[in-house]
Amino acid sequence: MTHPEDASPPGPPPSSGSGALRLQARILESESLPAAHHRLLLRAPQIVPRAQPGQFLHIWCHPPDEIERPPCAAILRRPYSIARLVPPEEVEILFRVRGTGGRLLAAKAVGDSLDVIGPLGRGFSISPDLRVAIVVAGGVGLAPAPFLVGRLVETRARVILLAGAETDDKIPFRVDRPRPGRATLPDLEALGAEVTFASESVEGILITAVAEARFGELPEENAAMFAIGPRAMLRRLAEVTGTHIPLQVSLEERMACGLGACRSCVVPTTGQSGYQTVCRDGPVFDASEIDWERLTS
Amino acid sequence: MSTPDLTVRIGAMTMKNPVMIASGIFGYGDEFRGLADYGDLGALVLKTITPEPRPGNPPAHRTVETPGGMLNAIGLENVGLEAFVRDKLPAALEYGTNIIASIAGDTPEQFADCARALDGSEVAAIEMNISCPNVKKGGMAFGVDAEASAEVTAAARAATRKPIIPKLTPNVTDIAAVAVACEKAGADAVSLINTFSAMAIDVETRRPLLAAGTGGLSGPAIRPAAVCRVYQVAQAVNVPVIGMGGIWNASDALEFIIAGASAVAVGTALYADPSVAHRVLAGIRGYLERHAIESIEHLVGSLQL
Ligand SMILES: Cc1cc2nc3c(=O)[nH]c(=O)nc-3n(C[C@H](O)[C@H](O)[C@H](O)COP(=O)(O)OP(=O)(O)OC[C@H]3O[C@@H](n4cnc5c(N)ncnc54)[C@H](O)[C@@H]3O)c2cc1C
Ligand SMILES: Cc1cc2nc3c(=O)[nH]c(=O)nc-3n(C[C@H](O)[C@H](O)[C@H](O)COP(=O)(O)O)c2cc1C
Ligand code: FES
Repeated sequence: MTHPEDASPPGPPPSSGSGALRLQARILESESLPAAHHRLLLRAPQIVPRAQPGQFLHIWCHPPDEIERPPCAAILRRPYSIARLVPPEEVEILFRVRGTGGRLLAAKAVGDSLDVIGPLGRGFSISPDLRVAIVVAGGVGLAPAPFLVGRLVETRARVILLAGAETDDKIPFRVDRPRPGRATLPDLEALGAEVTFASESVEGILITAVAEARFGELPEENAAMFAIGPRAMLRRLAEVTGTHIPLQVSLEERMACGLGACRSCVVPTTGQSGYQTVCRDGPVFDASEIDWERLTS
Repeated sequence: MSTPDLTVRIGAMTMKNPVMIASGIFGYGDEFRGLADYGDLGALVLKTITPEPRPGNPPAHRTVETPGGMLNAIGLENVGLEAFVRDKLPAALEYGTNIIASIAGDTPEQFADCARALDGSEVAAIEMNISCPNVKKGGMAFGVDAEASAEVTAAARAATRKPIIPKLTPNVTDIAAVAVACEKAGADAVSLINTFSAMAIDVETRRPLLAAGTGGLSGPAIRPAAVCRVYQVAQAVNVPVIGMGGIWNASDALEFIIAGASAVAVGTALYADPSVAHRVLAGIRGYLERHAIESIEHLVGSLQL
């Protein structure tokens, strides 16, 4: 069985600086999606060749030319995963509109620009020898799934996507129900993944059960699991995968700088350092790097 | 008219302009590299270090955004003095401008140990963090007491020839009295303000939003309070004052300078705009030109009452 360390990393964080760029990205498409989700397609040609699945953009939610005026709300940038690349120039984000930042972004018009720093963080590590990849995505964790699934399919691996949300409309994708209890996400299937969608899951427990059931189908080696979603779901996955299969998880935490400087966004990790940053050491971690006991939900 | 003179002197340290980056914002300097040329600035203050490494406060969460500002309770997570000098300082010095180390400790001796260890290094000055609200011992425990502030300052003074700059907390009744005590104990300058003790609560769970319970408020929300503290201190001391707290643009920085600050530092605003310090610097230069002021010195403390 391969371990993520053996795989060629998508690019470790550079030793100096974040390697990220700051740029003004024009909004090419802005679309409201069901249940307060939103999609923005940005023109960011400099980001496209550098981006890896799992990396994020740190976005100033006010108009770029108003950055000289201190706002009362949303004085910090907001982190959003790169949901999809449309080479050569376009980058998409998908988000749930929750607070001020999300509302500001959802109110943007086509032709507006965003002040963006990215791509940031350590993305998923994908081995070129992968034969089976299981992607488990819960709720808004589905946002980076199209980018990840697309890259996995390119390795010629069989890609199984297990997706879950509290209800069908809590996810920003089209859901088809060919028969009761069985739903699919044609948007993601079009990328080449075998998709199972479960909408009854509470905190991802159902997804976890599905994931367990699939272990039997795994080859001895060159299988890997990738998970994005609520911490309770990730924790359960880390427990059940154990040593069966290498698991990479993507974590979220409150950020200020997004660059590894301020130490806001740390999560407890095993090993000497004690804490690592989600923004720079993550957001993607090998499940074995995380100290799950100390990680609060 | 010729270009205005922006030079500022703090003890033996000469800065090419009055704009700095505040401690804790910029890490050890390397993380922001590439987003702007920080060597253009007058000085860069690095994250506070302590004699031994510290893990900092438990997460979830260490920061939370509040109206016009943010709370932080990082808890002085740092790599420790030795690793700082060996691993972090050389890269920061590559910026080619003044690098100021920020030190803290639980006792005056620990401040002295840090100051002594940095005496032979290439740091341009040493800021003494006697104002961190996020650690139980040391930090603000010194800064809230004039006598204790003087004791720590004297201990560092005896340990180094580098300029020393105690950083003051606003969480006191009489900040000017603390500043005067530091000046008498040998400080070359004082910097202020550090953050205000602050708290935010999730009313649904009735739990604090910061894992540490309380933290420090920074950002535009504190600016008028910071300008007021700088004004009070500048009236009371003869050493230079470095002003900070909520600076977001040149006009904000000019308020501090007019109130009596010889130099200014940007903090929280850097998270929104990695070029904020450059924007502030350009704006100050433009202001001096517009008002035909030959030297920044002439503007310092020029408040008209
Ligand atoms: C690496 C990373 C990738 C993310 N990718 C996506 C994505 O693709 N789609 C999506 O919908 N959401 C994503 N999130 C969550 C997203 O950042 C938050 O929903 C967003 O910051 C909320 O901002 P707001 O102003 O709308 O909400 P508010 O609740 O008003 O935000 C208040 C403060 O809390 C912070 N905050 C709130 N929720 C989160 C959170 N879950 N994680 C980190 N900070 C938070 C905000 O940044 C802000 O500082 C991601 C988070 C991280 C850390
Ligand atoms: C996340 C964060 C970490 C900080 N860490 C330190 C620190 O290590 N040492 C210190 O002296 N001040 C620290 N500060 C305080 C700032 O240097 C500054 O005094 C304060 O934030 C006020 O300026 P601002 O409103 O421009 O941010 C920190 C502030 C923030 C927001
Ligand atoms: S947000 Fe500053 S270290 Fe991660």
